[in-house]
Amino acid sequence: MGDEKKEVVVRLEGITKEFEEGGRTRAVLKGVDEVFYAGDFSLILGQSGSGKSTLLNLISGIDKPTAGDVVVRGEVITKMKERERTLFRRDHIGFIFQFFNLIPTLTVLENVTLPQELAGVRGGQALAKGERLLAQVGLAGREGAFPDKLSGGEQQRVAIARALAHDPMLVLADEPTGNLDVGTGDQVLELLLNLTRLMGKSLVMVTHNEALVPMADRVFDMRGGQLTLRAGAGRKQAAGEVA
Amino acid sequence: MGPLWRTAWRRWRQRPLQALLLLLGVALGVAMMVSIDIANGSAQRAFQLSTDAIAGRATHRLVAGERGLDEDLYRSLRVEAGVYPAAPVVEGYVQAPALGSSPFRLVGIEPLAEAPFRNYLAGIMGESRDDMTGNGLTPLLTERDTVLLSAEVAEAAGVELGDEVEMILAGQPKQMKVVGLLNPTDSLNREALNNIIFADIGTGQELLDMVGRLSHIDLILDAEREAEVVAWLPTGVQLVTTAAQSNAIQQMTAAFRLNLTALSLLALVVGMFLIYNTVTFSVVQRRPLFGILRCLGVTGQQLFRLIMLETLALSSVGVALGLGLGVFLGRFLVQLVTRTINDLYFVVTVQSVAVPPSTLVKGIVIGLLAALLAALVPAVEAMRTSPQSTLRRSTLESRVEKVMPWLVLASGVLAAVGGLLLWWPTNNLVVAFSGLFAVLFAAAALTAPLTAWSMRLVTPVGGRLLGVLGRMAPRDIVRSLSRTSVAIAALMTAVSVIVGVSIMIGSFRGTVVQWLGQTLQADVFISPPQLTATQLVGSLPLEVVEGVRDWPGVAEMVTARQVDVLAPALGRPMAVAAVDGDVSRGERPFLWYEDESIERLWERLLAGEGVIISEPLFVKEGMSVPPEPIVLLTEEGEKSFPIIGVFYDYTSDRGVVLMGREQYVGYWGDDGYSSIGLFLEEGVEAEGVVRELEAAFGGGGTVSIRSNATLREGSLVIFDRTFAITAALQLLATIVAFIGVLSALMSLQLERARELGVLRANGMTLRQLWQLILLETGLMGTVAGVLAMPTGYVLAWVLIYVINVRSFGWTLQMALEPSYFLEAFMVALVAALLAGVYPAWRLGGMVIATAVRSE
Repeated sequence: MGDEKKEVVVRLEGITKEFEEGGRTRAVLKGVDEVFYAGDFSLILGQSGSGKSTLLNLISGIDKPTAGDVVVRGEVITKMKERERTLFRRDHIGFIFQFFNLIPTLTVLENVTLPQELAGVRGGQALAKGERLLAQVGLAGREGAFPDKLSGGEQQRVAIARALAHDPMLVLADEPTGNLDVGTGDQVLELLLNLTRLMGKSLVMVTHNEALVPMADRVFDMRGGQLTLRAGAGRKQAAGEVA
Repeated sequence: MGPLWRTAWRRWRQRPLQALLLLLGVALGVAMMVSIDIANGSAQRAFQLSTDAIAGRATHRLVAGERGLDEDLYRSLRVEAGVYPAAPVVEGYVQAPALGSSPFRLVGIEPLAEAPFRNYLAGIMGESRDDMTGNGLTPLLTERDTVLLSAEVAEAAGVELGDEVEMILAGQPKQMKVVGLLNPTDSLNREALNNIIFADIGTGQELLDMVGRLSHIDLILDAEREAEVVAWLPTGVQLVTTAAQSNAIQQMTAAFRLNLTALSLLALVVGMFLIYNTVTFSVVQRRPLFGILRCLGVTGQQLFRLIMLETLALSSVGVALGLGLGVFLGRFLVQLVTRTINDLYFVVTVQSVAVPPSTLVKGIVIGLLAALLAALVPAVEAMRTSPQSTLRRSTLESRVEKVMPWLVLASGVLAAVGGLLLWWPTNNLVVAFSGLFAVLFAAAALTAPLTAWSMRLVTPVGGRLLGVLGRMAPRDIVRSLSRTSVAIAALMTAVSVIVGVSIMIGSFRGTVVQWLGQTLQADVFISPPQLTATQLVGSLPLEVVEGVRDWPGVAEMVTARQVDVLAPALGRPMAVAAVDGDVSRGERPFLWYEDESIERLWERLLAGEGVIISEPLFVKEGMSVPPEPIVLLTEEGEKSFPIIGVFYDYTSDRGVVLMGREQYVGYWGDDGYSSIGLFLEEGVEAEGVVRELEAAFGGGGTVSIRSNATLREGSLVIFDRTFAITAALQLLATIVAFIGVLSALMSLQLERARELGVLRANGMTLRQLWQLILLETGLMGTVAGVLAMPTGYVLAWVLIYVINVRSFGWTLQMALEPSYFLEAFMVALVAALLAGVYPAWRLGGMVIATAVRSE
């Protein structure tokens, strides 16, 4: 299957991101051009401070680039107004953070249905889907618990369910296992990959964990402000599906 | 600077807003206290200075009843009793518009007798010429209508030696020539003389309508001479020490001053809530840091010391700011305080606002102590931070849950203690105010449990109505209960004071309106123009009294002579009103009377069988029914008057004695008239008669002629003016509470930046963010507003039935109006919503990516 036949879910066009630090400007991303395909698990590897989380934030629209455009499913989100970006994110993007970031005042089920509730979807449909997802991540029966009663692994599983609850086209994961022990991390990762594949979601994950390389469809390295495709790495590249 | 201090210093530098809020809490509390202290102190000091300046070196005074002493007494004292030194004095108040709007104390002296008494007058005797400009003595003795003035006052008014100045007493203007300008080298005397005008005794007697009389004779006596003078004293004359006399007058305002101080302390309490909140927030926020420090070997005591010392350092800056602000506010409040004292008690003119070091020291000590006390709980919390708690931010909150039952218990105990203190039958106001504060603290202690309970009740309803935001908002409030409840308590306290004071003032006003309606039945009232609101000074010209008696349309005339008479047993003067009829036509309400009917009571009063006293006198002197006779100093010496009735009176808390005119004239030999009430014939229009009388007698402003309606209106203007200071303090307390809520909300919301960032990342729109924050602050305001209603009611009850009665002796009918509660509720709600605006705006502008990452 050639590159031209795959549907592009995210297109990065000359993305530059600079930060002001003590009166000096530091460029974290320097004209990044890249695409991510629908249904793929794209893995971005890089050292701490290399700019991989920044890139994820730009894709989701929670941050704006200094220059360049982010196009998600044909929509230039960098041209959108703040409210439009928020609504776009609410409808089409799921987030998983390193520190779980569950809302402590909401129950497990309420955390999962949060994006839908924010979008005004209430009642049976959202709840049923939330409960089903919780069952899929192995947390059936814990719907009414508050996050502080859950272990780290359980919290991240709630976060996965939350990221998928509103049926997003794209799931962004920022070091989702970075705050978990190896065993728990593996379980969470397996769950995340299985669910996104099962539901046909695109997943972009940033990490510094090289062990994930064999599981990814395509692997990128973030170095010196540039994103480069690692040749021959990743399942699809190894299989020669994509260039 | 050690590493601990460096982290603390850098943290406050990074969060200047938090530091500012702590400073404000201390500063506003201290400012309120200092400003009231300055206002009270300045008014007191002005009175004391002018009293001391007039008394000079005199140790004793000979005094008699209202009409003063016969001037022959002065001669007999020197010739027969051989008492020397002695100086005769007449004094009273006059207006001198050219010199300023405040009344001046006109003091008539005998220049030749002055030397041993008032050193600043030595100049007129030729001892020292530095103190005075002009040829004082000769013109003062030889020329009529001449006066001495303070050089400062003259300069400020552009008056020069030899100029004529108009002086008005009881509406009668008179031109007085300035023949000397006093310029004492002593700064205190210079300040005191700013509201005193000296004249020769003859001129003074004439101007003050005291020909042949003296206000007092000043003496310098040792113990031995004192006994001799007492033995010599003729009937009706008393020897008093100058200190005791001035003290007795000062005591009249003690309750008023204490009430103001209590209100200012309330602001400090609200300020303490603010400090507690800021310090608690700083501790909760640094919990992970403290955990790490504890792991690295920092002891609990070191953390405790850190919190206490950083509070001390910040609050020191706050105290300094508060002192400055207090002095500034004091200059404004002193006007209000002086006006009330002038309206209700005696004439005092504050020329300069003094800032005594004791006030500043008090502000510093109480401000710092309050700040340290407020920081104690969070400092102990910091001390107890265990290394394991590094990642647990909610320890404090879970502790709050545990202390809930204790809070309920504490509230019960405080309420019981408060109730006991209020019930305790004593006239001591400090006990009553301690009771009031205990009740307020009891309500504040209940805030946390009631907030938690009500928020749990609201959550499902909020969820049904507003979805996830409706569930989150109440839960967020409960989650941060240790701080939200304190903010709510602060707002509740301030708003309950608004409810309580509004009900009290409203009830007071209602009672006074009703009372005026009952008491003022005559259609037209005539009196000399007044210097103060409640005291009638001077006499009506006889031709006016005789002229109006048979005026066309007048059906009946009643007169009153109002004078101050010394009640020796009580050690203070009180107002005696000698009447020849009832201006209320039997409508005047009575607390108690001896007779079977009011008609009979009046018959007996006019027949001189007894007197009727006002309620404040009855209550403040702890009298019981039937009251013991009251002793007054008459021309014939001390006389006992049976009390045959007690009437309600709201003109003054000093006490009024109503007496039959004939009896009064018999004992005091004074046949003047202070006021007249005219009842008009059926169908005669009052305003028309007022116009006619003004045309006939009112020329030159010698008399004030007012219709019933105008007089009532004027009385209510004075009433409202009296409470202006209360309203000002109420407003300041609300501002402090508002800043408290703003600070608490801001801290809470900023603490949640990451959580709100996650919500935003998950699709929460800006509008939803505003909704969530305003929902939370609105809920907090609602809880504060709802709790403030019963608390405010209890406060009003205590103010009306305990504090007011003990302070002033007035019985008020409590009048409840829904508007008091509604307005206060709206104040709480709007204050809370407004306090949410800044955090919402600030968080709306956050960079989500940064917020999500931040710890």
